[in-house]
Order: sequence, then structure tokens, then C-alpha cells
Amino acid sequence: MKLTKILALILAVIMMALPLCSCLGNGKGSGDETTADKAKSSDLAYIQKKGTLVIGMTDYAPMNYPDENGEWIGFDTEFAYLVADELGIEVKFVPIVWDTRWFALETKDIDCVWNGMTLDETAKANADCTNPYVRNAQVVVVKESAKNTYTDASTLKDCTVAVEVASAGKGAAEAAGLKFVEYPAQSDALMAVESGKADACIIDITMANAMTGEGTGYEHLAPAFSLTEEVYAIGCRKGSDLTAKINEIMAGLMKDGSLRKLAEKYELTLVTEAE
Amino acid sequence: MSTLEVKNLEKSFGKTEVLKDISFSVEKGEVISILGSSGSGKTTLLRCLNFLETPNAGEILVNGNKIFSANDKRLSDEEIRQRRLNFGLVFQQFNLFPQYTVLGNLTLAAKLKVKDDRQKAFAEIEEKALDILHSVGLYEKKDHYPCQLSGGQQQRVAIARALMLSPEILCFDEPTSALDPELTGEVLAVIKSLAARKMTMIIVTHEMAFAREVSDRIIFMDGGVIAACGTPDEIFSGNGGDRINKFISAMSNK
Amino acid sequence: MDINVFLEVTAKLLDGFLVTVQIFGLTLLFALPLGLIFSFASMSRFTPLKLLMKVFVWIIRGSPLMLQLIIVYYGPGLLASAMARAGNFNIIYDIAEYLNSFSPLTATVVAFSINYACYFSEIFRGGIESIPRGQYEAGQVLGMTRTQIFFRVILLQVVKRILPPMSNEIITLVKDTSLARIITCYEIIYMGESFTKSAGLVWPLFYTGAFYLVFCGVLTLLFGFLEKKLDYFKS
Repeated sequence: MKLTKILALILAVIMMALPLCSCLGNGKGSGDETTADKAKSSDLAYIQKKGTLVIGMTDYAPMNYPDENGEWIGFDTEFAYLVADELGIEVKFVPIVWDTRWFALETKDIDCVWNGMTLDETAKANADCTNPYVRNAQVVVVKESAKNTYTDASTLKDCTVAVEVASAGKGAAEAAGLKFVEYPAQSDALMAVESGKADACIIDITMANAMTGEGTGYEHLAPAFSLTEEVYAIGCRKGSDLTAKINEIMAGLMKDGSLRKLAEKYELTLVTEAE
Repeated sequence: MSTLEVKNLEKSFGKTEVLKDISFSVEKGEVISILGSSGSGKTTLLRCLNFLETPNAGEILVNGNKIFSANDKRLSDEEIRQRRLNFGLVFQQFNLFPQYTVLGNLTLAAKLKVKDDRQKAFAEIEEKALDILHSVGLYEKKDHYPCQLSGGQQQRVAIARALMLSPEILCFDEPTSALDPELTGEVLAVIKSLAARKMTMIIVTHEMAFAREVSDRIIFMDGGVIAACGTPDEIFSGNGGDRINKFISAMSNK
Repeated sequence: MDINVFLEVTAKLLDGFLVTVQIFGLTLLFALPLGLIFSFASMSRFTPLKLLMKVFVWIIRGSPLMLQLIIVYYGPGLLASAMARAGNFNIIYDIAEYLNSFSPLTATVVAFSINYACYFSEIFRGGIESIPRGQYEAGQVLGMTRTQIFFRVILLQVVKRILPPMSNEIITLVKDTSLARIITCYEIIYMGESFTKSAGLVWPLFYTGAFYLVFCGVLTLLFGFLEKKLDYFKS
């Protein structure tokens, strides 16, 4: 039939155009190669000698991301500038392939991984990690009146849970074996709970703190419990004395409130000394 | 008993009085032409007879039966549908249904009224339609669509469609005004043939010569009243008064 | 490109496309007759009804379809929650609860049908009002009822006249269906985006365009066919 032929032709033309489209969005630069200084004595001395702290990171808002002018901003970006100031050296941000971060660290392509890195077993095994500084968690938010009904993942068994598309919350729901519906944004997931479309939603703790409870848009919603918890830390080379130095500077920045200001700016939750 | 009797008919649109105390009667088989300048109320008169306008006062009788009286309560849609079938109306703009063939235009309304034994009834309706198409000389065009016909042919179809109702009185509202001059002849010929068959007709027209030839009586309307009424000879003799003479000479020179 | 990945993506997009076609088909099914009713209301000689209709059409056409989707989907639930907190369990609460039980697809079809019925009603109104009065009068003097005149004489002429603007509106509807994803109706764009968000694949999103193009292509051919079909008469 003539019609089918025409349709087939249209489809073919479109399919041929596809590979072109998929070529878009590839260009990520790779970092400069640093001259290998084999002075094993002190990593800190080595870095101070070359005068630049090379940081491996990826585009990951709100930790490191480019602003409208293409300049790197974000919590970790600004945090790194503060630390480098104390050290009296420059900072250089090098985009890395996340999977090969430990390798880049070892070969001194970078001096540290500083990019909202979750402090987990892999990180501890492959790097010398600093103290955790930012807390993240996927929390379950429910109607305040039902807050006591939900205490852990098993209480959500027969519930409909709202999550954001392709979010950590979705991952947490999957991991806990919950029945979930994906909403376009975390704010939509909150609205789903408020309107009774869902019994609970799983969102970032930062978001949950900012948007529920008295004086917010969702006065009658409240976080019930954390499903997963994680903290962020900075990964330095194995056996590096940079780790202790950063810890020392970080303690100072915590004390003088600079980090708190940053955390408020980027709406993050700091790991406080009390914990 | 007159076929049609109109008594003291009045009609106004808002504050404008279009018809003022119109009374006349039409005998069976009579052809009446209504002349008058535009705005004289002649088209409104036809529309009142066909229930397209509701008069404010007066009565209309057909064969002695009162089919309309302004004093009675409002007629229902169903009553109006029944009573208007005493009249057929041929429009200036033909108003054929463009999506139906010539035959379809003639048979549509009749077929819609059929309740049972559709097959037989439909066959009868079509037979009647073809007879009528024969009589207006358009049998060959029965399967054509209106847009494939000339204006004159379309108006003949419109006349045939009105004849399908077998009306007591057939009304024409300026049947040739929308036609090119060379096409008016065929339409007038059809009307003449109907007159010869003693069809009762009321014709609103500007065709002076035609009106004089075909009419038994002529009504001259002016400003919503019947200014004169008489045989063609009386009206065209020049004794009807200044306005009539002026109008006739103006229209005849056209 | 790995052929298995391609097939997997195609299968998933087809799932979404099915939802897209459902939204489209159901919306047309309800919006066309509803639009006709709306158009009669907006031409009504009963002034309050006419005014009400005009205001309604203004509100629906004057606000984004996305907003209407959100209102239909979340609105009743938010209202019910607020009423429950106030201890107000009256008939309105029951209605709100009932409306809140709509699935995302139902809510989408409700919002789309109302929205498109308003657009259609204006097209219908324009079409109906453009038919000369003589057509009605010719039907009247032949003794036809109002209903007969409308369905036997007027409607087809209206259809012929409104076909071009309707084809525009209907093709717009095909693409508007993608809005449904914001209320968790997993149509084709949602499916395409899911690959971008989770697997980092960009091309499935572009690939959805092929489905839309084919669908709209079929509709264009269909409308061309209809226009040709109605070419036999001129009104």
C-alpha cells in the first residue's frame, strides 16, 4: 500500500538523523597532566610546592556546577576556595570520569576527590578521607497526623509512595522494595502526599526540612524517618598528610560559621560537631 | 370561499412598522404579483405567510380555516410545521442544500416525514420528484449537485422542491433577482407554465413585463400598506396614481 | 548503536506511545460532542447561559492547560485534605474525595476534554454561524424540524467549513498529550526522558519525535482524505 511506504520512508529519514543527535553533548575536557613529582616525603609539601590544589570533580549541583557564565560554583567549589586560601595556594578544578576517580588520584592527575563524595566503604578503601561535612538523607515525608504510623520501611509496605523521577529517593524506594510512583519533581511528590494521591514520599532531607512544617507551604506534612543516610567527605591520596590539614582547616571554618553560611546558601545540612 | 384570506396583518421590527393593516384575498388558481420598491414590506408579507416571521396583529385563513391569529396563544413548533405546509416558498437565493443532489433536495423533507413502510413510501416520493423534475425540464440533472448547475437551473430545482409539498399557494420572493438577465427567461417560463396549470401563486417581483403578462391581479405596496390593487391593466394604465406610475416607469426602464 | 538497546528503547517508547494514543483518542471522543454542546450554549438565546459559557470559555482558554491538569489532578485531594482537617465531612468532601480517586489517565482525559471542548466550541460556533440563514429557512418552509435541519442540512456544511481549523487543533492535541507526564501519566515523552535521567541516553528522547511525526503524518493524510471527500459540494 502506498500509505505504508510513505510512512516507512518518513521513519527511515528520522532514524538516519538520530545518530547525529546522539553525537551532541559529548565535549568534556580532560585535565592537564601534572609533572610527576616523586618526592614521597610529604604530599602536602608537594602540593604547596607546585602552588595548585588540583581537585577532581563532576558537574553535580549543588556541590559543583557551572553558573550562567560557565564559572564553577557550588558548595564544594566555594568550600575548596576557602581551604586553598588557608593553604595559600591556587585551586584548579578538573572534570573527571567518576568511575576512574581513584586511579586519577593515584597517578596524581588530581590531588583530591571533592565532589559531594559519599563516605562509604569504597571511599574508605581507596582514599584517605576527611571528616564528613555535609549530611544527606532520603527521608520519608507523611501527613503529620499519620507520623506515628510510619516508623520504618516495613510500615510502608502497602502504601503508595511518591518519588522524584530518577532520584536517590527512587533508588531508596527500590532498594526497600516499596511500591512507588514517579513524579516530575520532589515538590510534586510533596503535593501528592498533601492531596492524598500518595501516602508518603521519599525526598532529600534538605528539601524536607525546607518545605514541611510550620511556616511552610506544607504545614501538615512532616518527615517521619530516614530511609537512607549518607555523609559527604573529601578523598585524598592514601597516606597523604593533606587529609589532616584539611580536617584542621575545616574545623576552623565550622567554628567561625563560614561553612554554615555556605550550607544555608546551598540549602544543605552540615554534619555538626555535636554529632 | 377564497383560497387565502389575509385580514388586518401588522408587523413591526422594534419601532419600525413594516406592515400596516394589510388585507387581501386570493382565489383558487389566481396569480397575484406584489410590486413595490424595496422596503415597502412585500418580502416581509411573504415571510409572514410562511411563518418565517410572526405578525403582531391580524389573521391568516386558508380555505376558510384560520391558520394564524395574533390573538390566539402562541403556536407550537409542531403546529407551525403543519400549517406552513399550506404554502410553498421559493427564495431569491434559491437556498438549495449543497450537499444533496437535485433529487435529494426534492425528496429530503418528504422522506423525513415517512413513519412506516419506508420502502414503498420512498419509491412514491422519488416517483413524484422525478415527475416534477420532468415538468421543470431538469430530469437529466437529477443526480447533479447544485454547484454543478447554472443559477437558472438551480432556481428551477428550488421551484420543483417547493412543488413537492403540493402547496395550496406557492410564493416566490423575487425569484429572478439573483440571476443574470439571460437566465431569467427559463425561470419565468416555468412560472408561466404553472400559471397555465392554474397553480395559485403569489409572486414578489421586479419584472414588470412578466408581472403584467402572468398576473390576474397586481398588488402595489408602498410604505407597508397596499397602495393599489387591481388587474394588470388597471395598474399599468397610468390611472393608479403618481407613485405607481413613477415606480413602474423606473422599473420598466431598468 | 546496540540493536538490543534500540529494541528495548523502542518497546518502552511504544508503551508510552500507547498511553499517548489513549489520551488523544479519549479526549477526542469526549471533547467533540462536549464542544458541540458548549457551542450551542454559547449561541443560546437564554442570556445567563450564554454569558456563563462565555466566561467559562474565557477561563479555560485563558489559562495554561498544564495548570488545569494540576488543578484537576491535585485540586480535589488538596481540598479534601483541608476539609478533613477542619472536620468538614459534607457532600462537597465526598465529591472531592471521589474526584481525587481519578487515575492519572482519567484526570488527564477530564482536563484535556474540557480544555479542547472549549476550543472546539469556538470553531463550531464560527462554523455554524457562517452557514447562511437561508439554509435554515429553506428547511423550515419544507416542514423540517429544528433537529432535522441541523443534522440533515447544516452539520455537514459546518464540518466541511471547519475541517481546516479542526485539523490544526487536533494535531496540536497530539503534541499537548506530552503535558500529561507532569501528573504521572507515563506517556511517550516521559518514557524518553526516563532514559535520559537514569541511563544517560539522550537519543531516546529525540527518537520519540519519530512517533509524533508518524502519528501526525497519518492524521494529516486522514484530514486531506476527508477534505477531498467533502469536495463534491460547495457551500
